[in-house]
Amino acid sequence: MSLQGKHRILMVSDFFYPNFGGVENHIYYLSQCLMKLGHKVIVMTHAYGNRSGVRYMTGGLKVYYVPWKPFLLQNTLPTFYGTLPIIRTILIRERITLVHGHQAFSTLCHEALMHARTMGYKVVFTDHSLYGFADVGSIHMNKVLQFTLADVSQAICVSHTSKENTVLRSGLPPERVFVIPNAVDTAMFKPAPVRLSNHEIVIVVISRLVYRKGADLLVEVIPEVCRLHQNVRFIVGGDGPKRVRLEEMREKHSLQDRVDMLGAVPHAKVQSVLVTGHIFLNSSLTEAFCIAILEAASCGLLTVLPDDIIVLAEPDPNDMVMAITKAIDLLPQIDTEEMHNRIKKLYSWHNVAKRTEIVYDRALKCSNQSLIDRLPRYLSCGAWAGKHFCMVMIIDFLLWRLLQLWQPDRNVEVVPDSNLTSGIWVQMRMRYNW
Amino acid sequence: MDEAPIITKGRYTYVHDVRIGSPEAIDVHHISISRSVTDFLSLCSYALRLAAACFPIFALMQKTMSVYDLLMLDKPVAIVFWSFVVAGLLIRQILRKQVKKESVIILPAFGVQLETVYRSGKTVHQFVPIDKILKSVLNECVTPVTCYWSLSLIIRGEDELLLAFKGLYPPITMLVPIWKALCAAIDDKKGADIPSDCDNR
Repeated sequence: MSLQGKHRILMVSDFFYPNFGGVENHIYYLSQCLMKLGHKVIVMTHAYGNRSGVRYMTGGLKVYYVPWKPFLLQNTLPTFYGTLPIIRTILIRERITLVHGHQAFSTLCHEALMHARTMGYKVVFTDHSLYGFADVGSIHMNKVLQFTLADVSQAICVSHTSKENTVLRSGLPPERVFVIPNAVDTAMFKPAPVRLSNHEIVIVVISRLVYRKGADLLVEVIPEVCRLHQNVRFIVGGDGPKRVRLEEMREKHSLQDRVDMLGAVPHAKVQSVLVTGHIFLNSSLTEAFCIAILEAASCGLLTVLPDDIIVLAEPDPNDMVMAITKAIDLLPQIDTEEMHNRIKKLYSWHNVAKRTEIVYDRALKCSNQSLIDRLPRYLSCGAWAGKHFCMVMIIDFLLWRLLQLWQPDRNVEVVPDSNLTSGIWVQMRMRYNW
Repeated sequence: MDEAPIITKGRYTYVHDVRIGSPEAIDVHHISISRSVTDFLSLCSYALRLAAACFPIFALMQKTMSVYDLLMLDKPVAIVFWSFVVAGLLIRQILRKQVKKESVIILPAFGVQLETVYRSGKTVHQFVPIDKILKSVLNECVTPVTCYWSLSLIIRGEDELLLAFKGLYPPITMLVPIWKALCAAIDDKKGADIPSDCDNR
């Protein structure tokens, strides 16, 4: 159990460093801030190439890279029960009190939450993305989500839109879903020290060039804006299957000197690209929570947040061109430092960690229920699916009991809490009273 | 010689032995594993399963084969008998490869000797000079199904760690004193080297 209100949390997801993205960043920054609040955080993910075993990150964040190979889009092969032994071992040896899974698309997350519930641990789930309802992939994903969330203690979504989407997809009662927005590392995303001249307006676009991120809209918007405003230039960072369309647009309208295509931009270099622009354009068709907009606003760019730092538009080229024109007119009034300070106060990872702590406290207050009491929750998932889910949980329970007979809990050695020097990769020192 | 401390946990037994040596005492750490009832039962179940696997192989052997008449495989009793014989031979091979005891012998200023004693009586020795050892580390090894502690030596010029205990998975409470003794021996050697470097200037 937690000591003096402090928890021992296991973060589970297929998506963690060295893979790079929003979920990975979220887990890392949240873990660091929770450790600063005095909690113990362990991360569990699958092995990435040669990176397998235990690693320590900044501040002593312990990461288990479990050697289960990913099979599709960085996801661990779903075996239902294959990960039960290693998850049980980690939960016992690290004396975990609560399991926090991230991302609906992560098979390791779903399996870990299922096994954790079987073993009686409280679980929290954070959904980071929006999903559809109509296509085959979404239908299956939503059914899996329904199974996982049928018995989750609490859930977190990164925006109110994401909460509506998750509640509709999973059938989870809305009162069990908390909304905690993402944050941005404002120390890393700072405005340029010297304000850019407004003689030439630079519009920055940084995103994956895929359909969902609205790359097709950019193909129509960019030439129109360049035609209407002769002093506007575009910088497009990112790569993807739609890059070819943008290159073709550039050639067709002879915009080589007005549209710079940078290709894939490493996250460490994003700030240096953002500070070269005045306006940040995001054309995504759907976003659960767009951290990119926060990063741009933190760098002092006007984004197409509060109404005076963001201009919204419909996903329609004409509307977007009008919105960009409005943003260009608003530029002289923008104070980049003031915008950065506002973002710093509104979106901070420390704030996210404190709010997540409240969710953990609420989750741990939920009552302990036996398998018999939990099975009705799965039965309500559907006529056939409900029975199927119940069978899966009963088998998981039986396998857990067999595992306890073969290797009792007392035979799993508990890892001592170690004092680690903060910084980069560290050498562990243990204190034993012998 | 001091009384050797003994720690027993589960099937593992740790014995720390200090022997009189020249010029300094030799530090010996043994870890042995005992057989349990569960082992015996699992061996019996393996033997039965192997025999069951051999049974159809013998039963399907053709009459034209020379061993058919020699082993009298036309009789079912003979098939069962030979299935158990083959299973027994395979089990015996498995048992011979089982590790009975592993030892770490620290010879101060010389090196470290790693010994592995098998149930067949065979003993394998490996000596590592103290100069080649950079550090002794306790690692957490993660497999797809479990996680355990291991004691390893980082050898200069080698890419891979050298496991101190190759066949056994002793508990951390037994590995820690051995790790401390190894660190002390390696640090003593480093400390002894520094004044000798100064003297040579």
